[in-house]
Amino acid sequence: MIEVRGLTKRYGEVLAVDDLTFGVRAGEVTGFLGPNGAGKSTTLRMILGLDAASSGTATVQGRPYSAQPAPLKAVGALLDPGAVLPSRTAFHHLLALAAGNGIPRSRVDHVLAEVGLENVARRRAGAFSLGMRQRLGIAAALLGDPPALVFDEPLNGLDPEGIVWIRSLMRRMAAEGRVVLMSSHLMSEMELTADHLIVVGRGKLIADTTMKDFIEAHSEREVLVRTPRAETLRPLLAGAADVRAEDSDTLVVTGLEAATIGALAAAGGVELHELSPRQVSLEKAFMDLTRDAVEYQAEKRTN
Amino acid sequence: MRHPHTRPEPTPVLVKLPARAGRRRPASKNAGSGRATFWHSLHAEWIKIRTMRSTLSVILGALAFAVGLAALNGSSAGGEYADLSPADQAAFDPLATSLMGYLVAQIAFGLLGGLVMTSEYGARTIVPTLTSVPQRARVLGSKALALVGVALPVGIVVTLGAFSMGQASLSGAGAPHLALSDGVALRGIFGGGLYLALAALLGLALGAVIRSTTATVTTLFGVMLIVQAFAPALPGALGDWVSKFWPPIAGGQIITAVRDPEALGPWAGLGVMAGCVAALLAVAFVVFRGRDA
Repeated sequence: MIEVRGLTKRYGEVLAVDDLTFGVRAGEVTGFLGPNGAGKSTTLRMILGLDAASSGTATVQGRPYSAQPAPLKAVGALLDPGAVLPSRTAFHHLLALAAGNGIPRSRVDHVLAEVGLENVARRRAGAFSLGMRQRLGIAAALLGDPPALVFDEPLNGLDPEGIVWIRSLMRRMAAEGRVVLMSSHLMSEMELTADHLIVVGRGKLIADTTMKDFIEAHSEREVLVRTPRAETLRPLLAGAADVRAEDSDTLVVTGLEAATIGALAAAGGVELHELSPRQVSLEKAFMDLTRDAVEYQAEKRTN
Repeated sequence: MRHPHTRPEPTPVLVKLPARAGRRRPASKNAGSGRATFWHSLHAEWIKIRTMRSTLSVILGALAFAVGLAALNGSSAGGEYADLSPADQAAFDPLATSLMGYLVAQIAFGLLGGLVMTSEYGARTIVPTLTSVPQRARVLGSKALALVGVALPVGIVVTLGAFSMGQASLSGAGAPHLALSDGVALRGIFGGGLYLALAALLGLALGAVIRSTTATVTTLFGVMLIVQAFAPALPGALGDWVSKFWPPIAGGQIITAVRDPEALGPWAGLGVMAGCVAALLAVAFVVFRGRDA
């Protein structure tokens, strides 16, 4: 369990993280979602004791990170996949991290095999592709076999194969009963990965909800209607629904089922060429939700 | 798992494993148990300094330069010895002649010490380092100890190599020279090695504060060579004070066999250097502890 209470980070006048309070439960993937600059990385860095909080607390299994008896056995973190000395081998990079927590050497070989890097373990990490570095970063996170995992933008810059691999890894880790917290600025990445969502904007908590509830609350159904007699149909629907014209022969209707629209059109003798329900994308719902935060920021910059 | 780009426009039904909130995993058996200690961190830093490619090049560079300069210096100074005035002959210092390469070797050692910190910031490995060991005092302390573990023995090898080469070269040129059995020789060799280890720690402290490798090297040049070169040009009392107490100048007395009455004694001078390095390490710790990684 990761618990954040009143966490705040202030850089001079700017509040990067503003009084955040949330908990991350074990056994599910929690998505930490927000636009770029929303304070996600800063929050994760404070949870991991890399940055000092201006106020508030962050604990993992009830203790601040710096008070963990062996931190890598409490939390595994992937913050920056590029963070490896180019001239050092993958094996020695992990060996040094393991040694710092008294983790046996056998565990290094184990995690290298787990992420599929066993054949390049003795190669200099500087020659690794982004995908391989990401795997090395994941290997480092798994070293201590920790009950909690924190990933900052783990899908950034990965090819589809790498994305699928990390997704299934996170799902597996959660299914094993671990805490899995993953940040992203893309709703589309969360949709297929997260069970629970924590949405932040401009350092503030905007939503803390299950993915299911978020989808239900934000997936307004629309019906697309194509007809050569749009002007005739429009007044027939306008009473019961919100109708906007997308084109001279296309209407987008919210608030009515497709069947009802078809019935109303038939009753009015209007010929239909298309009648298709569609769902507003979650990406758009997320953008609507965080728009205020983003706009406020843009406005502030121009001052 | 569905490929994101092949997904049809209406959002598909999401297949999810049921949430298992509250289920606790048993404590890990794979990763071992027990509390991480300073010795674990020291072990980690030892692996890191051993597997940093620059470590070997810096050591070999320092060794080659110090020994090479001892050979050149020995033969040229030895050749000129016969033409010196009796007063200059009395002041001839075979120990310092052979160990003069320390002037450049100290930069190499300082660079090695600096790299122990700056390579972490350059490659951003400071993040995994501090997530593995969040206690900053432990990180800096174990880095310092691992560094001394490399720099002190290598420093002694460098001074021993330069001494042997320099004395052989002086002897070949027919000038006065020393044997290892001379007390002053052992002081120069071990004291010189100690001085180089202190130079490495000075580099570590600077690197922890400055964080950039190039800026650290530039600072090392300024502190160790430029001030030394320009100290005599400084006005009156300031020039005298700097020539006597500037830590690298004071510490450098450890390799002299003929005492300069204006300078501090060899061990007193090395003490000034050690005190200065200790103070800088304390500053580095305060800065390192207070700063976001």
